[in-house]
Amino acid sequence: MVLGVAWALLLGGCDTGDQSITVYSGRTENLIGPLLEDFTEETGISVAVKYGSSDELALLITEEGERSPADVFISQSPGAIGFLAEADRLVPLGSSVLELVEPDFRNTGGLWVGLSGRVRVLVYNTDLVDASSLPSSIFDLTAPEFEGQVGVAPANGSFQDFVTAMRELHGDQATLAWLEALEANNAQTYVNNTAIVQAVGRGEVRFGLVNHYYNQRVRAEDPGAPSENYYFPDGDIGSLLIATAAGVLDSSDDVDLARELIGFMLGEAAQTFYSQETLEYPLASGVAASSALPALGTLNVATYDFDRLGGGLGRTKELIDASGLEAP
Amino acid sequence: MRAGSKPPEAPGRGRRPAVLAGTVGLLFLFPVGYLLIRTVTLGSDFRSILVSSTTLRPLLNSLLIAGSTAALSAVIGTTLALLVARTNLPGRSVWRWALALPLVIPSFVGATAVLAAFGPGGLVEFVPRVQGFWGALAVLTLLTYPYVYLPVLARLSTTAASLEDAARLLGDTSWQAVRNVVMPQARDAIVAGTLLVFLYGLSDFGAVSLMRFDTITRVIFSSQLSDRATSLTLGLVLALIALLVAAVDRSAAARRRPVAVLGTRQVRYRLGRAKGPALGLAGVVLGLALATPLLVFAFWVVRGSSTVGVGYSGLGDSLGFLLEPTLSSAAAATLAAAAAVVVTIPVAYASVRRRSWITESAGAAVTSVFALPGLVVAISLAFWAIRAPGLLGAFYQTLPLLILGYVLHFGAQALGPAQAAITGIPSRFDEAARTLGAGARRRFLTVELPLMTPGLLAGAGLVLLSTLKELPATLILAPIGFETLATSIWSAAEDGFFAEVGVTALVLVTLSALLTWPLLIRRGLRE
Repeated sequence: MVLGVAWALLLGGCDTGDQSITVYSGRTENLIGPLLEDFTEETGISVAVKYGSSDELALLITEEGERSPADVFISQSPGAIGFLAEADRLVPLGSSVLELVEPDFRNTGGLWVGLSGRVRVLVYNTDLVDASSLPSSIFDLTAPEFEGQVGVAPANGSFQDFVTAMRELHGDQATLAWLEALEANNAQTYVNNTAIVQAVGRGEVRFGLVNHYYNQRVRAEDPGAPSENYYFPDGDIGSLLIATAAGVLDSSDDVDLARELIGFMLGEAAQTFYSQETLEYPLASGVAASSALPALGTLNVATYDFDRLGGGLGRTKELIDASGLEAP
Repeated sequence: MRAGSKPPEAPGRGRRPAVLAGTVGLLFLFPVGYLLIRTVTLGSDFRSILVSSTTLRPLLNSLLIAGSTAALSAVIGTTLALLVARTNLPGRSVWRWALALPLVIPSFVGATAVLAAFGPGGLVEFVPRVQGFWGALAVLTLLTYPYVYLPVLARLSTTAASLEDAARLLGDTSWQAVRNVVMPQARDAIVAGTLLVFLYGLSDFGAVSLMRFDTITRVIFSSQLSDRATSLTLGLVLALIALLVAAVDRSAAARRRPVAVLGTRQVRYRLGRAKGPALGLAGVVLGLALATPLLVFAFWVVRGSSTVGVGYSGLGDSLGFLLEPTLSSAAAATLAAAAAVVVTIPVAYASVRRRSWITESAGAAVTSVFALPGLVVAISLAFWAIRAPGLLGAFYQTLPLLILGYVLHFGAQALGPAQAAITGIPSRFDEAARTLGAGARRRFLTVELPLMTPGLLAGAGLVLLSTLKELPATLILAPIGFETLATSIWSAAEDGFFAEVGVTALVLVTLSALLTWPLLIRRGLRE
């Protein structure tokens, strides 16, 4: 039986000859699969998807070179897709797709667009922290009362994108000073956002810098978890909105189909999926965010030209390394 | 099958084994070849990367954790194998099999479970928090001691009672007989397994990163996009360390005089008053390495399915979504285990029986790949496969390529136990068969191969369990749409759906139990 399955898989890879498109997705199947199925249902175009982490898939695409089977790359963060843009691997999306999204959430060169947004937050342990004492700016986390109590994930794409934004807004010097002060304040480093949220839930650290939806997912399975999101007020850079993004690869043999797919993901149905199912912030088609989330307008989160987030990952990494923050 | 047509060769002659071994060795050079090409084309400055303070400490940490884990696993794995194979430990037919299973738990899942289980804020609050070096050592040892346990178990199941009987007739106590007679015979298998643990310790990222112990794999991963030169150079450094360690191991093996007497009857020592502590040790190891993760998985499932979540919940109403990944995992792991054993037999055989610089280089090449992080192996194979000429290029992202990826990454796990198995077969068996006029192939198939079987099965078991939990190569090299239980676990963990992680991990452990059962009850590894 095992061999039979193997044989079926071996032969199953053959093309059917119909219109088809290949997507490399840094988003998991739970978070994008249903949308791609809807696209196939609506257009008859079949979609083959390779799932993986955004960084690893971006790396794979560069090593595959011009023979890459991928038509579309979907990234969890501007960093990974910016890496491909810098490597000259993306083709312009065309104005009909680009104009579906606010200029803030797309590449000025027209190489990629944002699909959905996530807000950077301070997750905190409600048993150990008095909500009235929460800091008003991310810069306050270097104060003595936060010593050893802040969890960060320096190797995580979203954290790095946030640092890139901080560099753009406050300059390299202020950013490095903040990173060094955080390190001097004995900030605790973790491998990723989920690990931070769990550590905060255990009370291992009282605070953590993560994206907004990790805590929501933990609370969905464990409503009693003593962790809560806090959004830095007044447009503080700590509550930055970061986009997931998509682009078309230069190795694509059908750029128009690839663009059509990205256009579909910016349509009302797809944006509603982000809003209601994955609890992210929709970026197009006038769809409102889920009522389970604070509205963007009331949060006054930092918005930012995402284009610039895509570049400069190398310099950001240098600053993080220089601060000594990365090594636990 | 008649074998009389060919004249028997003189000892040491016959170049075919060496040629075959050399060819296999070349296959295993693909990953290192990729790293070399890339580091050269990127013009990376080897020396400044190596002596940089940001890489030196993590590198030393890697060696420290890999060495410590190897030492501890050697003690635990050997002790457990001795207890199961050579004593009257109660319930040993269950221990024998269950003690192999922790190897199937992906290290990042195992570490997450241990963190959720122990320490303040965990399920068991009164114990200190497990983290840092000691946390990483604990988790890695619990998940990797089977690398030692299985090969040693295989070896102990084939050594004869006669030597030990003789030793005891000459007045040795049971303890002395074990120390003086059994241990020397198990030595090759212990060394082979310990080397595997060491290499795994170098390559691991999941457990060390969650335990927040900083190793070189962290630098490799966190610089993979932002600083390719550093990332690739450090990958090459890991491969070089592995080559070095493998070379030292092989030259030491060549100096050791094989001490083994084969037989089907084994001595079984009575534990007496040691029965309690022996049961306690096996129980503690299995309790921590298997029962604890399983209980945490079950806890996640119950917690996640008893609450009505906000928004999207990954866990469906039925478990049907796991059927296809389960079949895919079973198929891929079975094929990989069989292929890895077949591919490495020529290297194992030639490196013991026809030792030359070719066979030693081939063995070192096979071994070096296991020290690389799976992602590096996968990307390197993708690099070569997509550039392959003509029809070979069509294998990109197909099942055969994925299996090749598993074989390259895990071949060392089949090679070590196979080498230990051949070393244990006295060459006079071969000589006797030659005297009787049997050709080389027939001698191998009818005399040596059957005697190697337990060692080969142990290697197959290791590759099987490793493939079941393998993640990066599966994500990168698999045909599109090919989902395994390991990729399902990863996907659910990425999304923070721990109920789904839990149920999938439970299925993974169950599947591994079913698949390893035939390996461990087969003749040879049986009582």
